[in-house]
Amino acid sequence: MRPLPFAWRSLSRQPARAVLGLAGITVVGALLFDMLMLSRGLLLSFREILESTGYDVRVTATDALPGLGPPIAEARAAARALGSLPEVADVVPVRFGSVSVRGADGRTASVALLGTETRRRGEWRVLRGSDLVEGTEPPSIVVNRAMAQELGAEPGAVVEVATVLPAQPFRVAGVVEFPFETAGEASATVTLDGFARAVGGVAADEADLLLVASRPGHGAEAAVAAIRAARADLHPFSTEQVLERLRQGEFSYFRQVSFVLSTITSFFAFLLVTTLLTVSVNQRLGEVAALRALGFPRRRIAADLFAESALLVGAGGALAIPLGLALARVLDAILRQMPDVPARLHFFVFEPRALALHAALLAGACLVAAAYPALLTARLPIAATLRRETLS
Amino acid sequence: MDVHLVPLLALLLLLASAAAEPAPGILVSRTLLRDRGLEVGDVVRLSADPRGAGAREFRIAGTYEPAPDPSRFTSKRYEVRLHLPDLLALQGGEAEGDSVGAVNIALADPADAEAYARELRARAPGVAVAPTTAGDDAHFLVIERFHLAISLVTVVGSTAFLLALMVIRADERREVAGLLRLLGVSRRRVLAQALVEGFCIAAAGAGFGVVFAAATQGAVNAFFQWRYDTTLVFVRVTPAIAAWCVALALPLGVLAGLVASWTLLRRPVLELLRR
Repeated sequence: MRPLPFAWRSLSRQPARAVLGLAGITVVGALLFDMLMLSRGLLLSFREILESTGYDVRVTATDALPGLGPPIAEARAAARALGSLPEVADVVPVRFGSVSVRGADGRTASVALLGTETRRRGEWRVLRGSDLVEGTEPPSIVVNRAMAQELGAEPGAVVEVATVLPAQPFRVAGVVEFPFETAGEASATVTLDGFARAVGGVAADEADLLLVASRPGHGAEAAVAAIRAARADLHPFSTEQVLERLRQGEFSYFRQVSFVLSTITSFFAFLLVTTLLTVSVNQRLGEVAALRALGFPRRRIAADLFAESALLVGAGGALAIPLGLALARVLDAILRQMPDVPARLHFFVFEPRALALHAALLAGACLVAAAYPALLTARLPIAATLRRETLS
Repeated sequence: MDVHLVPLLALLLLLASAAAEPAPGILVSRTLLRDRGLEVGDVVRLSADPRGAGAREFRIAGTYEPAPDPSRFTSKRYEVRLHLPDLLALQGGEAEGDSVGAVNIALADPADAEAYARELRARAPGVAVAPTTAGDDAHFLVIERFHLAISLVTVVGSTAFLLALMVIRADERREVAGLLRLLGVSRRRVLAQALVEGFCIAAAGAGFGVVFAAATQGAVNAFFQWRYDTTLVFVRVTPAIAAWCVALALPLGVLAGLVASWTLLRRPVLELLRR
């Protein structure tokens, strides 16, 4: 009989023990799988959102993250200068602000306001009504679903920005979805001129951020190098550089949590399988000695043990994947309740790499777990064991 | 006034201490002072412009530790504190008159914060008013829920492990249990023994876990405080948490012992003795 069927018979002789061992490995494996998805989930999700805008380079006045540093002065001239570079396909200035908006029925809401040019790529997605247009009176505004619902701001309605005196009217052109909008938070976008009217005390020709799309064939890194060469006073970041920075800083906590828990769960799986196999071997010492006496080599006994370990860990690891995916949905829903987290951002993201690592870590645990019981059987004194078994 | 000076750092230039007129004093955060090699008494130049236009001289009067902020602990706290008139002067044309970005208000009774905020919002619709505790609490609650969910999963995994161990242990003592039954010891008595044994194992395990956590919390905090250069406390084993762990572990241990023993004791005596 080959090792695998033999291992199956060994396990099925003690069904309760095997099922409990399997359950333990499944739960621990599910947690391990989740932690592997968490380790890069934020980065993968954030990359997807960044890339959905259609711009692969961000330019700021300093090395601070967009919105946290001072604005770029003479933004339109800077945008024109960058737009003329052969490596650059498109440049759009963006301003961030926070205003209080009053709806037609008198209700007010705090709104995260963006000032930019009319949409050219994936800056937002129109859900109802029409898109943002320049040069209208009153100026046009596109709002997200939360704002439309909170203020009754449907396409065609007029809302007033009440943060400045006198209050400035804006006509709602459409209801849109922004890539970075947070769940339930009212957001809106106006033109740059509209932004200067809505937010008091800001210069009209400033931008917190320049969104740059690199020209196809050149790529983001070439565009970054060209921008650095052309305007040393500006700070360009490719999507990769932004993600690397977040990986080292803002997102590092969850990466470390996932590393710690992955290590603990792998160790736990190893401990569980080692205990089960060691006890199983200790209870079958007579049987092992008899097999050895019949001419079974040490290698074959060890192979049986490794097969038993592989069956337990393999089945548990396979069951852990659907359980882990279900658990990840629950944990993701919890973490996404955090304030200021974009509605499209996910903490747990499936990728083949996580699956491969999951398999590799469990395979490692399976091999190491079988090593000690295999050593026990290899050192087993055959005659003494058989004699002891006969007497007992 | 607390100012985030990440954008200004590029322009922070160390000058000779000798200045014609005494420069206004500023406080510099510990991280900024250390990372930029500054010292108390140094004169630095600050500018609100990324290119350094309109820079003014300030003397570092002291250093301070920024209040730990759980929502920003992954960021470097490069900050300086200026007197408000100095900041307004530094911002020059950008500031309109004596306008400020925010006003902190200390209420006579902090419990009135929500009511006060509501009233102020009603009286001045253009003003954003928020009690200072609101934001951080939400972060804490979510992180707490996340850790609780992970704890529950590990408890389920541990229970399966414990149950497997108890089943193995019960199985090892099958013949002893059979002999005891044959000698007239009742099932209840054998079960009670298993319960006490499960209780002792669970109590020892829980006790060891609490002591281990309490002993290593310093190391965990030291690592994360070093990693993020913060004074935030990440792990704290409180009596309530220890009690919660023990309260969870003991019933689970007893239950595991009970289930494992019952699966054995319900069998006929001769089967227990393998006859």
